[in-house]
Amino acid sequence: MKLFKYNKIAVLALVSIALVSCGNDDQPGDSQLDYTQPVKTKLDNWITTNYLTPYNINVQYKWNQNTVDNSRYLFPPTIEKVQPALEIVQTIWLKSYATIGGADFVKKIAPREIVLVGGVNLNSVGTRTLGLAEGGQRVTLFETDYIDKSNRENVAEFIHTIQHEYIHILNQNKPFDEKSWTVITPGGYTADWYNYEIPESNELGFITSYARSNINEDFAETASMILIYSKDEYAAFLAGIQSPFALEALKKKEALVVKYFKEAFNMDFYALRDEAEKNTTAVITN
Amino acid sequence: MKIKNLYKYLSAAILILHLYSCTNNTDADPLFDETPTTRLNNQKSELNTALLSSEFGWKAVYFTDNTVLGGYTHLFKFAEDGTVEMASDFDADTKVYKSEYAIQLGSTVSVTFTTKNRIHLLSESNNYPIPALEAKGYLGDFQFLYYGQENGEIIFRTNRNNRELRFVKATAADWADLSKNLEMEKNVIGSDDRPLFRMLETNDGTTTHKFDFLFSAATRFVESNSVETGYAVSHDMGVGYTPTGIVVSPAVEVGGQKLTDFVYNDADGSFTATGTNGVTATIKYTDSPLVLTDDYKLMLPGQPLYWFGYFTNDYTVEAPTNSKLFNDEISKINAALPEGQSILSVELYTNTSAGTIIYYSFEGRDPIQHYVTVEEDAAGKKIILKHRAWDGDTTAPTPSFLASFDKHLMDANGLYIKKESFKLFYSEPVYTITSASNPFRMTTWKLN
Repeated sequence: MKLFKYNKIAVLALVSIALVSCGNDDQPGDSQLDYTQPVKTKLDNWITTNYLTPYNINVQYKWNQNTVDNSRYLFPPTIEKVQPALEIVQTIWLKSYATIGGADFVKKIAPREIVLVGGVNLNSVGTRTLGLAEGGQRVTLFETDYIDKSNRENVAEFIHTIQHEYIHILNQNKPFDEKSWTVITPGGYTADWYNYEIPESNELGFITSYARSNINEDFAETASMILIYSKDEYAAFLAGIQSPFALEALKKKEALVVKYFKEAFNMDFYALRDEAEKNTTAVITN
Repeated sequence: MKIKNLYKYLSAAILILHLYSCTNNTDADPLFDETPTTRLNNQKSELNTALLSSEFGWKAVYFTDNTVLGGYTHLFKFAEDGTVEMASDFDADTKVYKSEYAIQLGSTVSVTFTTKNRIHLLSESNNYPIPALEAKGYLGDFQFLYYGQENGEIIFRTNRNNRELRFVKATAADWADLSKNLEMEKNVIGSDDRPLFRMLETNDGTTTHKFDFLFSAATRFVESNSVETGYAVSHDMGVGYTPTGIVVSPAVEVGGQKLTDFVYNDADGSFTATGTNGVTATIKYTDSPLVLTDDYKLMLPGQPLYWFGYFTNDYTVEAPTNSKLFNDEISKINAALPEGQSILSVELYTNTSAGTIIYYSFEGRDPIQHYVTVEEDAAGKKIILKHRAWDGDTTAPTPSFLASFDKHLMDANGLYIKKESFKLFYSEPVYTITSASNPFRMTTWKLN
């Protein structure tokens, strides 16, 4: 039994040796990683003031292969084109939502990053991808080198892209009533939507041909197109629809969009549209 | 074994393990003296130092894919503040533009042109030279992975397509003379005053081989195949322009030597690359087609009636085989005609009961027929047309507005006739008629 006593002492001794044995007096030095911040240009500072600080949105305009599809032949924007593009986004999108949804709305639900790409993202079927929204976090906007502020159609297309992608971001945060949406025009969805003229798709109850790709795109297209149209323009669009079925479908979809904004975010969709129209005019006449 | 012995052995074993545990001897020699992070940082600064080191910056002739496209010369001048000045011979705008660059870590250390400049013109999805490259632009990249330095050159591999690209030190002359590359392009395309036929001739010191030479300015690419039977060699190559000639990729391999740099000779419009021991490769004009066919024979006397036609309001007008001189002569006819009249067709009826006739038809006036005789140049594999009569009148003078055009068809040196392998929309075979003396070539359908 005595042996056990010594054993205990021996074990204790071994444990202490083990704890002390591999001690090393060298302390870790400075990090070997280069963590110096790149020098900020005037443009970088502008982005910090207008996007990062107020909205917590990072803007990436310099090429980073990890944020773009490397199989596509794209290129980064021309530096001089970045700020004008961002000003349009700020005025028409951010300010409109801030005014109607409350100052904090966009801060809470916004892409955390906007990636700008200068070139056209042409698909092999001849269509152009204008924007992408990924995981509720990142929005990529293409063709920023081709924005022409003096051209309403051109600005409208660019803004359409960001409105469309932001609707996706909203949907990725709070889903819309997919069940009710699916039954409105179940037969019209098709993968080769690009083979159809827009008026043809309108007469089937779709606001654009792209809306026919699936219900998520349909929702985003319906909401973003109504935001792009002025009140009168949209009324004229509806008045031009021949098919009673299509007209009813478009109205049902519009009602679902309005309901979604009210129920999910307590926002008046029509007020948002009017604000966006006001701000669009401001951008173009400036 | 008793339990207490077990403890003894166990204690002894643990003790021995302890005694060994703290030795620093790992026996494996470290492969590198520094940590991976340090090494990457070193590589980054090595690349940046290299980029900044050249007084006049760097030059790269970028062959994005030398199986379909040629080379585009770019000049870069990097600055410490992360900006780069750049010029390119992609198009006529050879001015210098400024943008940003960064040393980035991709699969290895790389230089990336992070905001738009000239090099991005090669990566514009909706600006592509041929339909096969739709949505792919010119297959260009603008992130280059660093693979070290050799003989003062920086070696990169492109990020997307993994092709080698070398930056060589630029000179002041490179910047000053960049626009001359586009002057050289005109010589590669070929002057209207030169013959229509071209070839590549290689000489390995003893034997020569001949290849046809078909250059596309849109892609800066040449298709060049041997014209000798039993010698199936091709020298397809991308072309980059220099102020004094062209640089090609892949190299033209002659007698085991790789020739890439061709020097232009304005006297005869040729480009020559010279190796050692009499090895040369020359791109030159020839007065006659490389391959002479017997296609001319169906126009000779004794053959059945055949009908060939060129029409100004149909696909023949767009044929790439119509030479500039031919198109100019057609325009000249229209310019000489009164208001409201224009030429509609030039047709050739061979061996009718009234002989062979060149038939000119017009908008706003009656057709005119030029009666001719046909002679054979059997050695030259040509036909020679000789004047007989205008509209059946042997004393009538040549209508003045047709004189300039018609004289090419009356070429005393004869006309080459070739059945082309392509079609012009319809299934009718396409024949070209080429003057032996001048770069005059018209494209017709054989209509019966």
